[in-house]
Formats: sequence, C-alpha cells, structure tokens
Amino acid sequence: MKEFNVVLAGVGGQGTILAAEVLGTAAVIDGLDVRVSEIHGMAQRGGAVVSMVRIGKNVRVPTVLEGRADVLLGFEPLETLRNLRYASEKTLVIMSSEQIPPTELSAKNLKYPSMDELKAKIQRFTRRIVVVDAARLAEEAGSSLAQNSVMVGALAAVKVFPVKVGSLVEALKQLVPSKHVETNVKAFDLGYEAVRKEKTD
Amino acid sequence: MPDLHVLLRDEPGKRVLLLGNEAIARGILEAGISLVTTYPGTPASEIGDSVSAIASEAGLYMEYSTNELVAVEVAAGAANCNVRALTAMKHVGLNVAADAVMTLAYVGVKGGYVIVTADDPECYSSQNEQDNRYYALLSNLPCLEPSDPQEAKDMTVAAVEVSEKLELPVLLRTTTRVNHTRGPVVLGKLGKPSLKGDLVRDMVRMVMVPAHARIMHEKLLEKVDKARQLSEGSPFNLIVRRGKSGVGVISSGAAYNYVLEAVDLLGLDVGTLKLGMTHPLPEKMITEFLCMHEKVVVVEELEPYLELQVKAMAKDHAPNVEIYGKMGKHYFPRNGELSTRLVASGLAEVTGRKMPIDFARVDRVFSEVAKGLPSRPPILCAGCPHRASFFVMKRVGGESAAYPTDIGCYALGTAPPLGIGDLLICMGSSISTAQGISKVTGRNTIATLGDSTFFHAALPGLVNAVYNNAKVTLVVLDNTTTAMTGHQPHPGTGTTGMGSPAEKVSIEKVAKGIGVIYVKAVDPFKIKEASAVLKEALEQPGPSVVVFRAPCVLLSVREKRRQGIKVMPFKVTDKCTNCMACTKLLGCPALVVADGKVSIEEALCTACGLCVSVCPYGGIEGRCPK
Repeated sequence: MKEFNVVLAGVGGQGTILAAEVLGTAAVIDGLDVRVSEIHGMAQRGGAVVSMVRIGKNVRVPTVLEGRADVLLGFEPLETLRNLRYASEKTLVIMSSEQIPPTELSAKNLKYPSMDELKAKIQRFTRRIVVVDAARLAEEAGSSLAQNSVMVGALAAVKVFPVKVGSLVEALKQLVPSKHVETNVKAFDLGYEAVRKEKTD
Repeated sequence: MPDLHVLLRDEPGKRVLLLGNEAIARGILEAGISLVTTYPGTPASEIGDSVSAIASEAGLYMEYSTNELVAVEVAAGAANCNVRALTAMKHVGLNVAADAVMTLAYVGVKGGYVIVTADDPECYSSQNEQDNRYYALLSNLPCLEPSDPQEAKDMTVAAVEVSEKLELPVLLRTTTRVNHTRGPVVLGKLGKPSLKGDLVRDMVRMVMVPAHARIMHEKLLEKVDKARQLSEGSPFNLIVRRGKSGVGVISSGAAYNYVLEAVDLLGLDVGTLKLGMTHPLPEKMITEFLCMHEKVVVVEELEPYLELQVKAMAKDHAPNVEIYGKMGKHYFPRNGELSTRLVASGLAEVTGRKMPIDFARVDRVFSEVAKGLPSRPPILCAGCPHRASFFVMKRVGGESAAYPTDIGCYALGTAPPLGIGDLLICMGSSISTAQGISKVTGRNTIATLGDSTFFHAALPGLVNAVYNNAKVTLVVLDNTTTAMTGHQPHPGTGTTGMGSPAEKVSIEKVAKGIGVIYVKAVDPFKIKEASAVLKEALEQPGPSVVVFRAPCVLLSVREKRRQGIKVMPFKVTDKCTNCMACTKLLGCPALVVADGKVSIEEALCTACGLCVSVCPYGGIEGRCPK
C-alpha cells in the first residue's frame, strides 16, 4: 500500500475531529503508520472545519496534497464543496445530506443549493459520489449527535480503505464516552450498511 | 475530552496515537518534570490541559498561571531550587514572558527547565505569525524543533538533559502542525517526579545586579559554545540522505516533512540535512554539508532563520556554494505555513524540474466550483453571552463610540452583523489603547476584554486609567472561564489546575481596589438593565468598569445536560412578520432564513432568549430555563 488519504470536512461541532481520531487510532491498532491533522481554537467555533487522515508507510506530512484525497468524507454538503481541491477523478466523495446553512445565506436571503446543483459541482472533479442520509441514520441509532459515527461507518464500507472494520469499532469504543458507545456503534453499523452495497473500489 | 490515562501507562515500547501536545505531556512524565506552568493559548493549550488531567495522579504540580511571564517566573524559581520544570505557551506568550526569559538566560537553572513555545504559521488562531526561533538567537538559549509527535515527546526529554548539562533553560519550539497532529508515539520509560527543592544562595549567579550580570553574560556566552558542541553531536541533527545530484536541502521542523514528500513527488536525488537542534546550529556539520553540494536549498517555515546563518557560514567556509531560500529571490514564502505543494514548487524551480501535478488546473476548476460558495467563518456560538453584550454595547454606544477589543472569543464580535471592534493588538491592549483613543478623539470609548484576559494583562492598564483619570469604560465580558482555548480555569473561576477548589478573585473588588469608582456587574441577557448600567458608566467623568457576567453557553448547556434539565428551543410564532430584525441585529446561527421566512434551528437554539428581546412583534416564544 502506498498511501491512503482521507479529508474530513464539516462544521465545528459536528464531531469531525473525533471521527479523524477514530480513524487514526484504528490505524495504530492495525500497526499502520498514520498522521492526523486537526485545527483547534478559533477555527472551530461554528466555522468550517477540516481534518485530514493519511495512512501509509512513508507518510510524514499531516495534510493532503491537492488532488490526492482517496476519500473526501463530507459531513455537510457545502463543506464538501469547499474541499473539492483535494479531489480528483479518482476520489470517492462520501457526503452526508445533512445541511447546515451558513449564516451568510440567512443574512443575504440566499437559497441553499439543491442536491442536483451540489452533485453537478462535485462532478467537475469526480463522478464517484455516495450520498448518505447521516441525520436519519443517526436518529435511527438513537441520537442525532452520532452522525459522525455514521460517516465513519460509511468510510469503513469502502473496500479499499486499509483499516480493518473491527479495529474501527474498537477505536470507536475507546474514544466515545461509555454511555454513548451503544448508540455510536449502531450508528457506525447503519453507516456501514448504507454504503456497503455501493461501488466503492 | 479523551481519556488521557494512556499518558500514565508504564509500558515502554508501547505504540499509541497521540496529539503532538499530548506527546509533550508524556515527555514531561518521562523526563521526571515535576512542576508545569502554563497560560492557555492555541496551539499550545492541550499541553497544560493534558498535564492538568493527570497531575495529581502522576505526582507533579501544575498550574494555570495568570500569564506567561508569571508562569516562567514561578518555574524559574523552582528550577533554581533544583526541581525539573516546564512552561508551555503559544508563541506570543513568549513576548509576555520575554522580560524574564532574557535575564533568566544569564541566571540559568539547576533543575532542567524547558520553555515550550508553540508558533502558529498561517495564524490559524493567532494575531500574528512571528517566528520564535529568533528568541533563541536573541536570548542565547538552546532551541529544539520537533517535526512530529514522536519527536515532540523525545525532544521534551532531551531538552531536560541539555538544560541540565548547560544549566540553561531550553526552548522547545513547535508549530501548529506539530502540536495539532496526531501520530503514533512509542512510549519510553516513566521518570520519577520530585517536588523537593533546595535553595542554595549564590548571589553572583542568581541576583542580576549590573556587576553580576556582566559576569553572567560572559558565562552565558561560554555556555553557548558548549551548546554548539552538543549541537554538533545531537542525534536530532543529521544527514538523513546523501544525494548524487549535487543539490542538498537543509530543513527543520514541519518543513522537513514537506521536503521529504516533495522530493519524492519530484523524484529528486538530493542530500538532506535535518536540523532538530536549531540553536546553536552545528556549524561544522552544516559546513561539511555545504561543501558536499553545489547548490543548497534551505527550506523553513516563516523567517529565513536558518538561511541567514547558513549564508554566514558559507561566506567563511564554502563561498562557492549557491544557496537558495527566501532571501533575495523568494523560492519559498516568508509568510503563512508551507505545504508539500509550496515546497515542491520551490524545489522544482531550483532544480529545473517540472511539477508532476497540474496545480494551476486544479486551482482553476476549484475556483469555478467555489465561486459564490457562502463562507463559513468562525462565529459566536448560538446562545453566547457575548452576543448579548455586543448588542447592548451597540445599542448604547452606537456608531459614534470607539470599541477597542482584545484577544479571546469576543474578537468574533467583529463579524457582521455585530461588527464591534476597532483596534486589536494583543492580550490586554484594549484597556490601554482605549486611553489613547479617548484622549485624542474625545469619543465614548468602550474597551472589551474577557475575564481571563482581565487577570492576564488588564491590571497595569487599568491602574494607568485610574491614575491618569482616562475617560474610558472597560467592559469585562465575564463568561466565567477561558473559553476560546478550551475552558481552562483562571483566578476568577474558583478551581486550580490541580482540580482543587480555590478562593475566587473578584473582578469587581480588584477594580475597586485599584481605585475605579464606578464598578458594576450585570447579566448582559437582561438587556434593559445592562443598557442602563453601560449608559451610566459612559457618563462617568473618569474610568469605569462594567462586568457583563453570564457563563459561556458551552459550559451552561453542558451543566444543564448534566442536571437533566431539558433545554426547549424557542419557536417563531405566527406573529412574526419576517421583518428580519432578529437576524439583522444578532446574527445568531440558530436563526435561519429560508424562502424569506425566519425560523429557529432546534438543534442549535440554547433558549437564551436574546432574540425575544429584540423582536418588535413578539413573534418568538419560549422559556429560558433557570
């Protein structure tokens, strides 16, 4: 394996940092080398948030080079678009349909783009798009706060993702507060099932 | 917060995933450091927070000091009693601490002492992106520069060794991409902390009156020579690759990672010198490296710190080597953070290679796709008490007042629609810049700063306002925590870094004690009352202090959840005329407009009730939980 790069894009408060930590921890459980980048502080207050996870033997830089994401894991559609520079025609975009309208839209009375518009923009970079109804699946698992686990589960279903599914679940159990483990593991499973049948390799 | 007990594991050889800052905390335990002081600041905050979480269990002492200067002085006292110590701060914190650091270099230490300075290239969460390696040059202190979490841990341990060998404090200079990168770290053996110190009188060494300072300055310069020897033999300075192309690259810290990947990307065969101890530089090693190559590229983030010195060495020892970097022709930028792309493009230019990726095309397509994409800057959270405070300030002070602001979440008040903030420089600057503004403009001047910032840096400025009878109003936005950096305690919170209770220092009493006559505290969510207080404060002939006190919403929501109190989101009723007063005045992220209609996003609303206060039609209803 050369390297596997995941860009996680979302909004502060959506749990992207925790999701990235789950991926990194699972990679270490599997004995792989990994770098996880995150941005804290001012940048996380309801603002756009990006975490990156790079897995591979010679990986040293924690950030992904433009066009080199294997998976763009979008926790929110507009944030997915904002990070398309990391995508190429080889990139698989897994995108949550959960919309969080930025205040600028409200301030200027603008419309949130439709799913067709969003997809058309993504297709300028790649035709490989999987949309996940993370909000519904998280609710089904027991909490809307578990959307990040849905997205980790969705990524786990990608056949070429080099981390074992069992290790991801183990990492999830380690990192989620004990009283929320059951909900999050269920959310993970639902995300996994949602993507399992899609063509992802 | 994740379980940090992994840091206490006595399992040498075990490989765990750690954040750079957690790795430094682990290094503290392995080095047997016993006293840790800090003032929180991104990207350094999790060093102190990780230590705070395990300090009593690990048997060491930690404190959140009132500011970085105090933090260094507390640690300097302990380190001069032969106890190992560490102080962690963000880069600009070192400006605050510099007065102590510069002379502590003369005094030196007995127990190993490490000062972590976390620089923030790209200003992710900072007011500037200064390169603190220059502090090493300025103070003559040794400096280590890790490139990843593993090195961050290892260098913390090594820094203590270097410090004790030289009897000098050692700077550990990190950057955001080291502090906030997670990577696998192989644990070493745990050290044994000991807080038992001993003060041995040694006036010439320790009391810096001029006669002693002259002597100790000379001793410091001798120590620098000794440090250079250590640098020549340091395991962190090494030639990692020998190339055949006649081109060599020198780099340090995060830049080194970019170099390795950029070299691979371009398929270059270059020699690579990695510098981990960047002050003093290993002159012999660098000279030898220069002599091995025809062209040497210096790749470093921010200032040409290495390049300047490498060029000086080349002038004496290798005058024919061509040196490329960011002096003269800019192969690499001197601002912002580097990336594999930027480093590859600089290296490609020097070596005449073609970039294997058509980045221009990526940029072009991306800019087309991103055109009109609504921005999502960091904003005040839904329910943030600062929003209420700024609303009150704007209501009372209007457009004619001046609003010098300060470092903290309230800097986000500059965003529309609140748009408050006229001058922001550094911690505590609001109260003092206010005095200059007020003096020369005669405008109502309302300075804002937070509770933690009040204790950190406001007091001398406030004393100055009192003594010189400056007509300014200081609004302390007291959200009962150090919010922006992750809710650390401060002297007003009643908790210490060890997690033990403490007597709160009252902001009102401090202000009154200093001599401010008008001091009042009020809840900013009580708009009428708060407005009346602020109006009265502005009418005072001299300085006045208003404390707007309401807890950080992240804390209050967490507390309500803990107590099982359900927060019922507010609702827009049919009385709403969609006049948009609420969104235009407040910019609360929970107020959402779609198809010209305003609604409240249930997941975000914290039932603070501020929107009810501004709605002219009574079109929002709900109940604020007590």
